Amino acid sequence: MIGLVVTFVIFPLVGWSIGRRSIGEAFLFGAGLTGTLLFLAGVAHVPLVVALGLIVVWGVGSGVWELMHRSRTPQLTSHPWLPTILMCVPLIALTFVAAITPLSDFDGRAFWALKAKGIAHERAIDGPFFRGATLDPRNHYPILIPLDGAVILGVAHDSDDRQLRWLYLGLLAAFALLVRERIGRLVSPAAGAWCAALLVWVPQFAVEPEGSALSAYSDIALAAFAAGAFFELVEEVLPPRDLATSQPRDLATSQPRDLATSQPRDRAIRFGLWLAFLVLTKSEGLPFALVLLVIGAFVFRKRIVIPAITSVIAAFALYVWRARIPAGDEEDILRMLPTVFQKLHHLGDALAAFPAHMSLFPRWGLFWIAVVIAAVLAWRVDRRAARLAISVILAMLAVYAGVYIATEWVVSDLIAVTADRLLMHVIAPALFLLALGARAAVRSSWNRD
Amino acid sequence: MSERPLIPRIACALLFLSLAVTTLPRLVGLVNNARTLLPLGYEARREKQMGPWYASVETLRRELPLHEPAALIAGPRDVESAVFANYYLYPIRTRLFVGRDNYRNAAPDPALPKTIVAVTADRVTRTTYDTLRDRDLRAGHRVVGAPTLSEPRTTFILPMAASLDGPAPETFVIEATIANPNPAPAEVRVTFWPKGLVRTITIAPGATVKYYDVVHQLFGVLDRGWMRVDSPLPLRAAFYFANRGHGDATLLPNIAGPATGIVAAPIYRDTKLFVINPAATPVTAVVGGVSFPFGPHAFVSWPVTSIPRVSGDVYAFVATREMNGRTDFLWPR
Repeated sequence: MIGLVVTFVIFPLVGWSIGRRSIGEAFLFGAGLTGTLLFLAGVAHVPLVVALGLIVVWGVGSGVWELMHRSRTPQLTSHPWLPTILMCVPLIALTFVAAITPLSDFDGRAFWALKAKGIAHERAIDGPFFRGATLDPRNHYPILIPLDGAVILGVAHDSDDRQLRWLYLGLLAAFALLVRERIGRLVSPAAGAWCAALLVWVPQFAVEPEGSALSAYSDIALAAFAAGAFFELVEEVLPPRDLATSQPRDLATSQPRDLATSQPRDRAIRFGLWLAFLVLTKSEGLPFALVLLVIGAFVFRKRIVIPAITSVIAAFALYVWRARIPAGDEEDILRMLPTVFQKLHHLGDALAAFPAHMSLFPRWGLFWIAVVIAAVLAWRVDRRAARLAISVILAMLAVYAGVYIATEWVVSDLIAVTADRLLMHVIAPALFLLALGARAAVRSSWNRD
Repeated sequence: MSERPLIPRIACALLFLSLAVTTLPRLVGLVNNARTLLPLGYEARREKQMGPWYASVETLRRELPLHEPAALIAGPRDVESAVFANYYLYPIRTRLFVGRDNYRNAAPDPALPKTIVAVTADRVTRTTYDTLRDRDLRAGHRVVGAPTLSEPRTTFILPMAASLDGPAPETFVIEATIANPNPAPAEVRVTFWPKGLVRTITIAPGATVKYYDVVHQLFGVLDRGWMRVDSPLPLRAAFYFANRGHGDATLLPNIAGPATGIVAAPIYRDTKLFVINPAATPVTAVVGGVSFPFGPHAFVSWPVTSIPRVSGDVYAFVATREMNGRTDFLWPR
């Protein structure tokens, strides 16, 4: 119960402490910010307890102040009831399951929750746990989410993983709310609501033993942070729509400017923070941040310097931390890259991996087929936004395919256990394409009528 | 709503249904499973999920000292179980060893955990190195399938009796076969020297007993020395010095008393001279022209580079290892 309270109070308040935003975004921002600040503190040898104390005091104080004094963010004026109910049903069911059923996944227990326990126990990120005093098979994995977990375990004074169940569920719920709000703002409230509903019904997010909200993997967090960064990019190229009329905001008359989206510089900072969270969440986060930075350079132009700086700080801190501790049995992709030309026989498997997994009905239903169709339709409606989403998806899948080629694992085995989780990372651009595609279909139907 | 075009709505519904058709039944299953777990305590829920394996982890967690690291030894197929044992045992620190050989190869490491936990997919148990070794040896095959039995004798000495491990895969044992060809049961007294450990075994009339590691099986030690076998009835026996890791074995002589004239033969690496005093009284022997006292039932060895001349009331022999790892013995005449 303490874990539940800590999860759903501290993280949103920390998220709100740097500006009013929706609850979903606040939760994700709070989780990302808490983990990042604790990581930087740990790298700088600031005691984690002191750093956490400061974060909680500052975060809760300014978060509460922010909630009480700043003008309210414009809320969605229409609440499509059907997708809202459909979104709530699995979240309620998953809450019930998470409250009762113990954690039983592989990576969550073997790596991620173990790290959370280790950090909570030693109150350090480079203590004996990370220096080989005990078994930590993936010692170099980034630890943003384990740091959040350690906060929960530490405040709860309980190292049992039951306290962590809410964090992973909260990440999915917050992700869904972020999708609902952002796509609602960028395309239409109905599209946002339906995309959020679809997200929580995707088996890979909802019920798969490995990677879903019932596990303790970091893939939902990575997907959510990537979504945050992606939506900042899209908002830069696509004028936000009026929440009441679904018209581009320029055409709307009396709505106040959304504080969270009003300043281009603020958007670049937020984009940079999302990228930093990506870098510190999973090893895949670094190439993801690089891809988003490259694409972002075309969107933000000179302002890309800000996100580049935050990403470099995060990557440098990660490098320093890794240099201090022994490596586990994880693959060193950078070291393997030069061998890629000797492993071109993996190319076929690597290229076939994602199409094969996208069409796995028990994991994804018709989702990716719909995304492909929607991408074609979206291209006709809003080429720039569609290009952005498609380029993010394709670039990341190309990076992941490259890793499959370079890997020293048995490629087919690696693909079998990772491809669906990697597809999770690009769900936000995919949902955005669905929303754009649906709008295109609606317009086309209207035109025919 | 009615003004909205139909085709996108149908497409959206189809997409949603394609997801729900998989997710909904599994969600219902998860909820039902949670309902069945609800009346149980949290640990009991874990036990229900993971079975007796988790119960054994719980027992072990209560048993292990919190601040003493433990070695998790698991077979290659049980590494996953060891990883989870590590998770549930934390903050007890653990080190994973895939197979017993990796643990023994780490013997020179001063930080090697002394507490050993054997992990399988079925259970997690605190154990000892000797127990694990014995389990592996029992599960394996003896090197000598058809031993050559000696002529019947009532008393004899085995000049080398050992149960020891070198670096993996070196595993030295004495494979023993003792047959009682008599119509009466034989009460056999076996003494392991120089520790002086005594065991008595009964061999039924016409029966044959076999040991894959006689020193450890009879005396429960990992050690080396020599052995004396006393029986009221003549027995036929075969004792092999076997290296289970290499799969080679050498038949040991069943000696009656002192002998020192070691037969000249090529020697290789790790050559050692062994001298035993089978008597219950101290003796003096000359080794390479130097006199040495040997206590009662002594068993002494030292490295040599050539075969030394030995004299006195002792039994002396040389062991040398060929380049392929096989151990050769140079016995006295």
